[in-house]
Amino acid sequence: MRSGEIISFDDIKAGYGRSRILKGLSFSVREGEVFGVIGPNGCGKSTMLNVLTGTLCPSSGRLFYREKEISGLPSYKRCRLGIGRTWQIPRPFTGMTVYDNVLTGAVHGAGESVKQSREKAEKVLKETGLADKSRIPSGELTLLDRKRLELARAMASGPEVLLLDEVAAGLTEAETKEIMALVGGLRERKYTVIWIEHNIETMLKATDRLMCMADGRNVICGDPGEVMGSEIVEELYLGKD
Amino acid sequence: MHRNDPHKGIRTVLYTAVFLLLLAAGLTGFPGNNILRYGFRILLYITIGEMWNLLSGYAGMTSLGQQAFIGLSGYTLAVVTTRYGLPYPLGILLGLLISLAAAFLLSLFLLRIDGMYFAITTWVVAEALGTLFMSMTYVNRGAGMTVTAEPYPRIGRLFVMALLLCSLSLVLAELLLRSGYGLGIMAMRDDPEAAEAAGVNVKLAKRAVYIFAAGVTALAGSLFFLNKGTIYPESGFDIGWTISMVFIVIIGGSGTIEGPVIGAVLYVLLSEYLARYPGWSNMILGAIAILMILFCPRGIVRFSPRPKDHLTKAR
Repeated sequence: MRSGEIISFDDIKAGYGRSRILKGLSFSVREGEVFGVIGPNGCGKSTMLNVLTGTLCPSSGRLFYREKEISGLPSYKRCRLGIGRTWQIPRPFTGMTVYDNVLTGAVHGAGESVKQSREKAEKVLKETGLADKSRIPSGELTLLDRKRLELARAMASGPEVLLLDEVAAGLTEAETKEIMALVGGLRERKYTVIWIEHNIETMLKATDRLMCMADGRNVICGDPGEVMGSEIVEELYLGKD
Repeated sequence: MHRNDPHKGIRTVLYTAVFLLLLAAGLTGFPGNNILRYGFRILLYITIGEMWNLLSGYAGMTSLGQQAFIGLSGYTLAVVTTRYGLPYPLGILLGLLISLAAAFLLSLFLLRIDGMYFAITTWVVAEALGTLFMSMTYVNRGAGMTVTAEPYPRIGRLFVMALLLCSLSLVLAELLLRSGYGLGIMAMRDDPEAAEAAGVNVKLAKRAVYIFAAGVTALAGSLFFLNKGTIYPESGFDIGWTISMVFIVIIGGSGTIEGPVIGAVLYVLLSEYLARYPGWSNMILGAIAILMILFCPRGIVRFSPRPKDHLTKAR
């Protein structure tokens, strides 16, 4: 791992049952950057996030966070280390209020007492535009608000690295603008962001570097303009002539 | 769970007053033995209902084998008092310790199983324990055992013990659920994977809830058999215990502290009344439970219609 890097995948192989999704994935993310990930459906983008958060164990390879190998750490410990995530399909704790969802992130993710976490939860709710909905059961939120809640819960856990899994998926154009404004603000808060998105145009404006995945591997990684202009990405998205 | 309860002060005063009134009733015996017996049963059913509610309603772990801990503690009490002639408080304490140890050991493999499989496995374990006790000469096989105590506690004292246990279990459950652990437990119920990714140590939370519920249920079992005076494998490890817990929680309201209190009162009164119709009583109780699930799935405590604006927000 080089200095300035916060996360590093080293030849990671992983999958579900007998199907292998990641087939030797290697890449590194620098501290403070917004790192975009693109690739065709089924190339392993969400699987990569699952490996990073510990939801899925890799069959081989090594995973580093701040030079510490975390391949064997359980998911909750990775969250407490500073890796927060959102899910492609929002997964709020539907039996709890919006406030309690965020408070859970603050208490368990950041490892603080309920008393200490209240202020933080209220601050995050304000920042994400959910303050007036804090007493509503989270199962009754609209899709846009569920996406906001995902972000709020992850932010409340006090992460250094935020993993965004298709935050704009399923949203209307107007809603996408709203969520993008929120995501845009993450850079100012000094988070390192790993961001998967199908809506590439939306994401390109905010990323420092871009990685394109195909068939469970990193096929190209670098400046977003160069990656998008590369032949390999053109082939993957437009097909060969 | 409301974290900032505006009526907290009033509720605390009200509950303390009820507790003191019941304590006075138990200590003086003024309501009479019959009423105290009803009260004793209600208090024990509130306790076990609350523990099942904690497991299933709050933590999402639907166990059908909580009778294992009632049987274990009941038998420990009988063995300690009858076979060794030791005082019954020691029997209650040992019953608690044995049940906690059993819950810990069971949790090592039970908590690797989820949902329906967890429910079935807990039931199978309890049945297996019942069968084991049925074949053990040490506990007189199917002939059962008696509980002895000198002097045998009167119903007033039993009532006070049940009141203390019930109050303690309610207070501890409330404190647990209002704490950070409570948040983790409820998050785990709704989505274990997302909860873990949000920093909740799901394995530890599951184990803690399972062992805590087992311990309190075991104490209730000890008191029940101390009052009854005899224990048989089919009464100690009877699935009927868990059925009553499920009924209490469904009727009262799952995932609320108050629900099992109302559910237990109704259950004891109904089962006492229906005892005069043997054969029909379980069918009637079952029919009531089904009707509640169909028409009032959130239980009596949450029967009031919800505001419309909440319903229209879902997309």
